[in-house]
Amino acid sequence: MTQTPRLQFDTISKSFTSVRALSDVSFTVAPGEIHGLLGENGAGKSTLLRILSGVFRPTSGSVSVDGTPVSFRKPLDARAAGIAMIHQELHQVPHLTVAQNMFLGHPLTKVGGLFVSRREQERRAAEALSLIDPTIDPSAPISTLKVAQRQIVEIGRALLDRAKIIAMDEPTSSLTPSEFERLAEVIAQLAASGVSIIYVSHKMDEVFRICQRSSVMRDGRLVGVVDMKTTSPQDVITMMVGRELMQETHVSHATSVVKLEARNLASTAKIRDTSFRLHKGEVLGIAGLVGSGRTELLRLLAGVDRSSAGSIEIDGKTVTLSSPRDAISAGIGLVPEERKRDGIIPARSVTNNMALASLESFSKAGMIQKGKLRRTAQDLLKRVNLRPFQLDRPIRLFSGGNQQKAIIARWLASRSQILLFDEPTRGIDVGAKAEIYHLIEALAADGHSIVVVSSELPEVIRLSDRVLVMRDGRIAAELGREDLSESAIVAHAIPGASAEAAPGATHIQSVS
Amino acid sequence: MSNSTAAGAPEAASKSSRFNFSLRDAGTLIGLVVIMAVFASLVPGFLSERNLINILQQSSINACLALGMTLVIISGGIDLSVGPTAAISAVITATLLLSGTPVPLAILAGLGIGILCGFINGVLVAYVGLQPFIVTLGTLSTYRALALIYTGGNPVLGIPPAFRSLFNGNVLGIPTPVIIVAIVAIAAWVLLKKTPIGEYLLAVGGNEEAAYVAGVPIARTKITAYVISGGLAALASLILIGRLGAAEPILGNLWELDAIAAAAIGGASLMGGKGSILGTILGAIILGAMRNGLTLMNVQAFYQLLATGLIILVAMMIDRATRGRE
Repeated sequence: MTQTPRLQFDTISKSFTSVRALSDVSFTVAPGEIHGLLGENGAGKSTLLRILSGVFRPTSGSVSVDGTPVSFRKPLDARAAGIAMIHQELHQVPHLTVAQNMFLGHPLTKVGGLFVSRREQERRAAEALSLIDPTIDPSAPISTLKVAQRQIVEIGRALLDRAKIIAMDEPTSSLTPSEFERLAEVIAQLAASGVSIIYVSHKMDEVFRICQRSSVMRDGRLVGVVDMKTTSPQDVITMMVGRELMQETHVSHATSVVKLEARNLASTAKIRDTSFRLHKGEVLGIAGLVGSGRTELLRLLAGVDRSSAGSIEIDGKTVTLSSPRDAISAGIGLVPEERKRDGIIPARSVTNNMALASLESFSKAGMIQKGKLRRTAQDLLKRVNLRPFQLDRPIRLFSGGNQQKAIIARWLASRSQILLFDEPTRGIDVGAKAEIYHLIEALAADGHSIVVVSSELPEVIRLSDRVLVMRDGRIAAELGREDLSESAIVAHAIPGASAEAAPGATHIQSVS
Repeated sequence: MSNSTAAGAPEAASKSSRFNFSLRDAGTLIGLVVIMAVFASLVPGFLSERNLINILQQSSINACLALGMTLVIISGGIDLSVGPTAAISAVITATLLLSGTPVPLAILAGLGIGILCGFINGVLVAYVGLQPFIVTLGTLSTYRALALIYTGGNPVLGIPPAFRSLFNGNVLGIPTPVIIVAIVAIAAWVLLKKTPIGEYLLAVGGNEEAAYVAGVPIARTKITAYVISGGLAALASLILIGRLGAAEPILGNLWELDAIAAAAIGGASLMGGKGSILGTILGAIILGAMRNGLTLMNVQAFYQLLATGLIILVAMMIDRATRGRE
């Protein structure tokens, strides 16, 4: 690296109110380099990209482009500095044409800005696209294009902006292998013309195929920058997940009694042919990448989404779960990931939030029995250790961890026997995290059957008696307690990371 | 609606929800007291017992509508069709009375029509999934048209005294409509504060997605709100035709606006999830007292409209400013 780097991150840190998202991240990207950015969910990749694209400002540290420090106040500043972002979810207006989408927000105009010059837009769009994919018609509505072509249109748009740096966030998540090949060619072509690419992906084979170097992040820090020629996928995975395991011992309360059995479940959303059993007193972990179908599976079990095929049995009896109400009366309760959106009624008291799923049982002749409600609230909210212990306080004034405890108490109040946790400790501070873990263990010891979906592997390993690894809407593997390791889970969760990449993976029985 | 509201509400954020609500109600009450004080100093006899009872009577119809509106607004909806619902109910009840139908039956039929109108609104919102504003904008015209078509545009005159005396009487010097609305208000308060339905209304309006995940019967809850609103619109129309002795198909024009205003002044949030029965009643009395006072001062109707508009805007700005500090 003797030349001036195209892009330099210098000790970038970013803190949100209480959470430190990035700590002292420094690395450089050379002109024409294709640079991978790797890490688990929550490692800080997205935050770093948002700083690069001007959405966030770093708390400390600086970004330099071609040796000049830059400071972006808004996304447009980053764009003006030659930085383009291509998101996983394409931000395009479906019924507008390719050219209109490429000039969205800053159209070419004529007659002193009064009219849009569509012909000129289409000519310039065709010019930009001719370099990468001449088959795309700039006057076609964007909705008629395939996802891969739409991605290429986004790249064309970046070229129109004379972007020097293009950051791609999981660009291939919805591409077929042949479409990936086409994209890889385009990326190589761009790099050859001097554009620097930052390539974010979970797919090891792609990263090794495309990138020259990669920065690996974990817990908001840079673990290292690796040269793809001298490293192996195994090393990279170890770097991604290799944090210390929590030292607490795991105690299983699982029995051999089958509480819930799912047979060949499928949904239009994501889930395909998924079968598994959940035992009484068992904590069943579900791991997998974001988008692998974990949340969707939980939503099926909770009656929030409907299954399109398959059956669910509880205590040996087939149940129909076509609404959360059905699921609740079958004894299933969901502690959702998006607490603010799916969990709490912000303005209502913590007691009312707790009682929401079982109000009828607190009522007599259509009237809520205040005394009974209060006694239950005192009992259950004490059991989950709500703090501060103010039962009439609106739930929105509690911390995330205490809101979570109230939602757990909601399902205790409704006497649910099966509790589904989606990312139980997301947005919860470390102290409350341990409390939630102990609570989950206590519930299992009490005979509840528990499913925990989590992106945090130490969490899954800490809590689970057994883990299902999901990939593309299916269960890719089932890992017993003895086979459980972060690398084993990752090996099954990440497509392209071969099984021998993980030491624990050799004696995993695949479930098909 | 005075400065005291602004000064008082921020404290509410740190107190319990129950206290929070009563504090907002205290703000509305202070607003009412200020308005009463202003008129008392400008209009001799404004605070006389007779005029105070007048104000209550004049506010009773709007209060009746506003109670239903409050429940709908709390559920996250809006009911623009209350005026035409009242009109259909009025003309049908009047026709039945003229044809010799016994008074109790005619009243039940009138209320039934209102409930049916509300049920249709509720089904369109809850099951067809249309926006409440659009649904009730559509039924606003539809119901009005039905009332006009049914009567050929003519008023139904000559409502029998047996019916009229029900709504024109006094109990211990208090007009029957005031007593009826007071009973309805107590029932609405009990519904909102003491029953699962009330909690469901607050939950659905406060966060529909979370309420759904928690197993709240969303559709049933929303439909209940519109059914109550329709029924109370019908009740309001019965009070009105009892007083007037005639039912006009154009009756109830713009009633929805006064009802929304009373609910909003009383602390109902048009975003849903928030509202107060006591506040709504106070809000209706504020509007009634203003109109009464301005009329006694011989202020032209145009200026009365202006004053009503301004009071709503000022009340909402105070509300916004105090909530913004939460």
